[in-house]
Amino acid sequence: MKLEDILNKYFGYSAFRPGQREVIEKVLDGKDVIALLPTGMGKSLCYQLPGYIFDKPVLIVSPLLSLMQDQVDQMKQFKEKRVVALNSFLNPMQKRASIQNLHDYRFIFISPEMLLQEQVQQKLNSMELSLIVVDEAHCISQWGFDFRPDYLRIGQVLGKPNRPPIMALSATATQKVLGDIEAYLNMDSPYKFIHSVDRPNIHLGKMLFQGREEKIEWILDHVTKTAGPGIIYTQSRLKTESLSQRLLQSGVTTAAYHGGMDPLDRQFIQQQFIDGSLDWIVATNAFGMGVHKQNVRQVIHESLPSNMANYMQEIGRAGRDGEDSLAILLYAEGDEELAKFVGIDDYPVDAHVDSYISYRSRNELPTSMIHNGEISETAFRVLDYWMNQLQPADVKQRLSSMKYEKMRAVEEVMDLIETNTCMREQLVHYFGQTLENRPEDCCQCCGLQYENIIRVREIIDAPSKELNWKRRIEQLLIGFS
Amino acid sequence: MLFQFQQILLQIFHKFNQERTISAPFHLLRGKRSGQTVQDVGIYQLHSYFGILPKLSRKKYDEELSIFVNEQFILIKEDGYYELTEKAFEHLKKSQELVFDGWHYRGNEHVFFARLSLVVQSLSHHLAGKMSFIPYQKDEQIQQWVRMFLKTNHYQDGQLQQKLLKEILNSLEHIAMEDRAKNILIYRLSGYNAAGFTWQQISFEENLKEMDLQLIYIASLHSWLNAIFLQVEEFPLLLQMVENIRVKNPLSGSAFQTAELFFNGHSMEQISRKRGLKMSTIEDHMVELAMNDPQFDVEQFVSNEDVQAVLAAVDDYNTRKLKVLHEVVPQLSYFQLRLVLARGERVEA
Ligand SMILES: Nc1ncnc2c1ncn2[C@@H]1O[C@H](COP(=O)(O)OP(=O)(O)OP(=O)(O)O)[C@@H](O)[C@H]1O
Ligand SMILES: [Mg+2]
Ligand SMILES: [Zn+2]
Repeated sequence: MKLEDILNKYFGYSAFRPGQREVIEKVLDGKDVIALLPTGMGKSLCYQLPGYIFDKPVLIVSPLLSLMQDQVDQMKQFKEKRVVALNSFLNPMQKRASIQNLHDYRFIFISPEMLLQEQVQQKLNSMELSLIVVDEAHCISQWGFDFRPDYLRIGQVLGKPNRPPIMALSATATQKVLGDIEAYLNMDSPYKFIHSVDRPNIHLGKMLFQGREEKIEWILDHVTKTAGPGIIYTQSRLKTESLSQRLLQSGVTTAAYHGGMDPLDRQFIQQQFIDGSLDWIVATNAFGMGVHKQNVRQVIHESLPSNMANYMQEIGRAGRDGEDSLAILLYAEGDEELAKFVGIDDYPVDAHVDSYISYRSRNELPTSMIHNGEISETAFRVLDYWMNQLQPADVKQRLSSMKYEKMRAVEEVMDLIETNTCMREQLVHYFGQTLENRPEDCCQCCGLQYENIIRVREIIDAPSKELNWKRRIEQLLIGFS
Repeated sequence: MLFQFQQILLQIFHKFNQERTISAPFHLLRGKRSGQTVQDVGIYQLHSYFGILPKLSRKKYDEELSIFVNEQFILIKEDGYYELTEKAFEHLKKSQELVFDGWHYRGNEHVFFARLSLVVQSLSHHLAGKMSFIPYQKDEQIQQWVRMFLKTNHYQDGQLQQKLLKEILNSLEHIAMEDRAKNILIYRLSGYNAAGFTWQQISFEENLKEMDLQLIYIASLHSWLNAIFLQVEEFPLLLQMVENIRVKNPLSGSAFQTAELFFNGHSMEQISRKRGLKMSTIEDHMVELAMNDPQFDVEQFVSNEDVQAVLAAVDDYNTRKLKVLHEVVPQLSYFQLRLVLARGERVEA
């Protein structure tokens, strides 16, 4: 069968998107591949389609539990039964059963932690795989925006002789990160498909303010006057709640979204947003990966992102349908200090190194630092990794240079605020590429009229929507209200 | 004005009669399965509150407590005991309380609701002609249970939606519960193109604090479940959903084994030897048994006269402190006193 026929038969699509065919052909040839495709371009298809050609399982390493669950749910919805997710959600019995039957699956999703487990490795060594996929591969690099030390061990675990090809996928990686991916995964002169990171349909605005409250006032005004759907990114959980509350009071259907919420609530919000019953979401950066809404028209940054890659990833939620969309970066004096603080806030410091050592010398598990509330889980992962690699003094050295890097990363975002030249050009430059074309209404510096891009908000006279449980349950079960 | 959570705390402090430390309500709300907490449930008649907030953090609890102190509802003494103030008693007189049945559900109410949610989500999609969808309930066990339920009840015929709707309407309509409580329950359900409401959304619509909302939610679930159990023949579908939700045997595992030996004719000393457990542990088990088993006959340990004497003392001295009661009825051991306390109140109730 031709690749197009398979595409049509299993996925119902009529044509490949840029990069998909190239990448698929290379892995079918047995070559290693690195594919850099912008968010929402269809990276998943690059390994899903070969899964229907190979007769051995495809192994996919994925960093986020929710992301993995998402993928599995979607595949099951398309009637793919031979798919499994190995992660800490499974109870011991389910886990044992899944591992035992691992060779029978077509797609095996696995978290890096799980990959390091003895029983999993044993099973993997006893069976053959057709392809190893490392999704969100930038997590392997400490220069990437979401460093996961566990990712560094993937190469050690899977890089055996006679291994199947490795496919590394990411949306955002600088040259430096690309180099790390290739090196740490022990890739064999991989084929690289690097799509331009530029998203010409996303128009880049920015607004400067004197004070924070002014900024909030502007958001309230802007959001009540212009049309969504949209996402407002902010730093803290508390801010997501207070800002969403103020928007609600102004009559905009809004919800807060952050990592500390009831998981069911998080799903409700995602779904309402996709359904269109929710216009705006005020979120921390926990909202993003794995959210497939095609028609997000605006992304507003209430606070400065901690680095360019985050910024890219977050504005990338807009305009997945290819239509014009607006990203507005807001800045009030002093915001960079806040962003720096947030950037390094969740990062280990010297005192953590000392504490780690004293746990060890007392013969206690350093992981207790998490349970004792001394350190966050993410920060601990980084600390633990380095403590196992270097001498304490070198760890401290390393941490302080990383901290410096993180502060510098905020300065790079500040350049976007301060520049008078094209923002798009700067952004693309940052990822080591050159900009070919500038769209109309390119960015705030080239000239951008918001009203050319977004529409005026239509205020619909919503019928009084007082809650009514009888009406609601009737609507759910027999379909009228 | 006090919030629901604080009202509940006040009630619990009141019931403990100033005879326990300030930590006792915390363990009770979390449903701690220790001898002391479980026995206190019997002694102070706290069944309704047992384990209604299994995830309550000590931090949150201490925060609420310090509000109580600041507002002068309560005085905390150095030894960890407390005293309620005049203001607290005034408040207790006029406060309305939520009704819980924690003792019988212990968190299982959430299993019931998860089953119901997935059944409704499935039926709603089926109605819309969508044969596959992404379930909100990720728990594999719940999913399996629901698959079985749908099959057994022939969802393919397309009649199940109507039947379930009728049961939900009929069962909820007759419960004496505010409409807003019913709203909270039903708006947490989802269907085709209709995701459930988040706590933030319901709290905005109903103008309630999220913590209070969740308490009302749990109380309403308990009332609903009790209503279903009262009229099982009326609600054949809901009856299936409440399978194994109500704790039938509230005894802890170890107490259960003791009870079995006891009913097979072993004496307490024999059980203690046989099980290699201290006599005091066996006594704890017997007290738990007295508390939970309506058939248990206290009079094999305490004469009827002595039972009356203890109950009179509880009344006269307004206390359930064993030390005080022991001074008034010195002929009884502490064990006998505990037995009477565990059972005596239930006779009244
Ligand atoms: N060839 C194609 N034709 C039409 N639609 C496609 C094609 N390939 C993928 N899609 C659709 O594009 C959407 C995004 O795909 P996918 O989730 O793989 O993106 P991604 O690149 O992994 O994004 P992210 O960076 O957010 O992970 C999906 O809804 C998918 O079904
Ligand atoms: Mg992806
Ligand atoms: Zn420009």
